[in-house]
Amino acid sequence: MGDVSLQSPLVILCGKGGVGKTTLSLALGLWHARAGRSVLVVTSHPLPELAVTISLSGLKERHPEAAAHLFIVHIDPREILGNKVKQQIPSEFLARTVLSSRLYQNLIEVAPGLKELAFLARLRQLAERKSPDAQSRAYDLLIWDAPATGHFLQTLKVSRNFDTYLSGPFAVLGRELTNFLSDPAQIKILPVTILEEMAVDETIELCSELNKELGMSPAALICNLASPLLAAQEEVDLGLFSGGQGEGSACAEWQFMVDRHVIEKQLYQRLRAEVAAVPCVVGRMPRWNSELELLDTLADSLGASLTDVL
Amino acid sequence: MRIRIFVGTGGVGKTSVAAASGLKAALAGRKCLVLTIDPALRLRTTLRLDPGGIDQRVDLASLSAQGELWAGLLDAGSTLNRAVRLYGEPRQAETVLRHPVYHSLVQSLAGMQELMAIERIDQALADGFEDLFIDTAPSRHALEFLDKPEFFAQLVSIPLLRLVGRTYKWFEGSMFSRLGRKSLELYTKVEELLGAKLVRQVLDFYSIFRTIAEGYADRARRTSSLLHDPKTTTFTIVSTAFKAARDGDYFLGELDRRKFHVETLVVNRLWPGVGGSFGADVPPQAAGLIAWYRSVSEAHAQAWERVSAAFSARIPKLICLSELARDIDGLSALAQIAGQLASLDPIRPE
Repeated sequence: MGDVSLQSPLVILCGKGGVGKTTLSLALGLWHARAGRSVLVVTSHPLPELAVTISLSGLKERHPEAAAHLFIVHIDPREILGNKVKQQIPSEFLARTVLSSRLYQNLIEVAPGLKELAFLARLRQLAERKSPDAQSRAYDLLIWDAPATGHFLQTLKVSRNFDTYLSGPFAVLGRELTNFLSDPAQIKILPVTILEEMAVDETIELCSELNKELGMSPAALICNLASPLLAAQEEVDLGLFSGGQGEGSACAEWQFMVDRHVIEKQLYQRLRAEVAAVPCVVGRMPRWNSELELLDTLADSLGASLTDVL
Repeated sequence: MRIRIFVGTGGVGKTSVAAASGLKAALAGRKCLVLTIDPALRLRTTLRLDPGGIDQRVDLASLSAQGELWAGLLDAGSTLNRAVRLYGEPRQAETVLRHPVYHSLVQSLAGMQELMAIERIDQALADGFEDLFIDTAPSRHALEFLDKPEFFAQLVSIPLLRLVGRTYKWFEGSMFSRLGRKSLELYTKVEELLGAKLVRQVLDFYSIFRTIAEGYADRARRTSSLLHDPKTTTFTIVSTAFKAARDGDYFLGELDRRKFHVETLVVNRLWPGVGGSFGADVPPQAAGLIAWYRSVSEAHAQAWERVSAAFSARIPKLICLSELARDIDGLSALAQIAGQLASLDPIRPE
C-alpha cells in the first residue's frame, strides 16, 4: 500500500466538539497499525494530547507490533513559526531576541490566519514526506484529528483567504495549500457525529459548506455513540414493554431508552436524507476496563466498516 | 454584579448549563443576561436569539419569575462592525471596513469572538444587568478570550505602531528615521521572516484601527480586572462523566495559571440510574436492552464518584446533572435543569 505514490493518503476526522473525533482517530490509527501499516495521527489542540497519553498506556505490552507502527504528533503552530525564525536567524541570541520581542509575539497572535496557515503547511510537509526533520519517516497513512467544525472550516479556508486577500510569501503558500487540499484521491474526509440535534445540524451544515465553499465531499459519515437499538440489524419492537406490563423500576429505564431512540432514529433518517455519504454506525460501549480496551473494540468496528471507503 | 463564565470542551452542554443558571437567577429575582456563542436551533428559538440582533428578553410569565432573563448572541462579525462604526470617525470606519486585513480578521472569527465578548461585557454592565452568564467557545479558544485583551492592549501600546501612519508613503518616509537602531533591526528581521507586505498590511491596518483599538484596550483592561476579582467573577467548568477528570485538571490548571477563580465543576448528562430488579414479565429482548442501559448508568455513577473524590478539595462546588430523556427544547427543559441546580445549590444571601 502506498509504495508507488509519493504522498501519504490523509484521512481527516472532523465534526462538532465532543463527538469522539480523537478517540476514533486513535482507534482508526490502531486498526491500521495492528495490520502493520505505519500511521501518524496528527492533533492540533492541547487537550487531546493529555487524553492520548492516557488512552494508549499499555499499548506496548498489548500490541507490540501496533506500538511500533503508531505515531502521534501534536502540532503547535507557534512552535512551527518559532522554528522558522530559528532556522532563518543563525545567531541564537538574535533569534531569541526576536522570539521574545513583543512585536513578534503580538504579530503572531493577531495576524489573521497565520497560525492556521503554519499548521496546514506542516501537515502538507508530512503528507508529502518533505519534513525538514531528519528522523522523519514515510507514513502509509496520515490521520488528522481536526479541531471542532468552526475552527476546522476556518483553517481550510485560510489558505484560500491568504490567496485572495494578501500578497507576499504567504499568498504563494496559500495557493499551494489550496491545491494540496483539493485532491480527493489523497484526502478523505470523515465527518463524525452523534445522533443529537445540535451535532446533526452542525454535520449537515459542515457537509454543505465543504461542498459549496471548498468543493470537498465526505468519503463516509460516522455516527458515533449509537444505542444498541440503532446499531441492531433488525428492527426492535418498541411496544415490547409498554402499557400495563408492570410497574417496576425497569419501566423508567425502558421509557428513557425509547424516548431517546425515537429522537435518534429521526435524526439518523434526516442525516441520510441530507448527506450523500456512506453512514457507518459505531455503537456506544456500555463500559470498559481500560481506555486501550475501548480503542481496541472501536478499532474492530470502525476499521471493518471503513475498508471499502479508505 | 456577578459574572459567571462557563468553560469546557465541545458537546458537554455548556450553553444549556449557562442558560439554566441564568434562568435560575432570574427566577430568584435578578436581572440577568445570558451571552452565548453557538446555541442549538431550538435553544436559539427558546431564547429568541438571532444573529446580529440585539439582546432579547425571554418571556418568563409561565414561570412567574421575579426577575428578568435576557439573552444575546456573541456574533463577532456584527459586534465588530458595530464597534468600528461606534468608535471610529465615519471616514476612518469606512477605510477599516474596506481594508483587506479587516476581511481576513473577520474571517478568522474564532479569535475575534472572544475579543468581542470583552466588548459585550462592558456594554452589558452599562445596560444595568445584575448577573452575566457567559458561554465560551470550546477548549483552547475559550482561554484566548482571556488572553486576547492583553495582546490587543499591548499591540496598540507598542511605540512602533504609535509611529505608523495611515499610508505606506508616510510609513516609509518618516517612520524609520524616528526608530532607534535596535528597534529598526528587530523590525527588519520580523519583516524578513513574515514577508514585508504582510507585516506592513497588518501594521497599516492596526494603525488605522488604532483609535478604535485604544478605546477597546481601555475597556478591555477594565473588564480584565473585573474578571480577576473573585467577588465579581467565578468560573464554572462543565464536563461529562468520562471526561471530567481530564477536563477538570486541564481547565483548573489553565485558569489557576491566569489567576482566575474556579468555583464550580459541573458533571453534566449523567444517565439517571434507578436500580432495583426487573420482574419476570419483562420480555427477554427488552431485558437485554435494560441491562445495557443499566451498565451505562452505573459506569456514569462510578465516574462521578471518582471525580467528586478527586476534586472535592480543589473546587468549592461539585454538581452533577442528569441527562434529560429529550433534547433541550424550550423553557420547560431549561426549567428542569434550573430546578436541578437550585436543589443542589441553595441561594446564598449576598
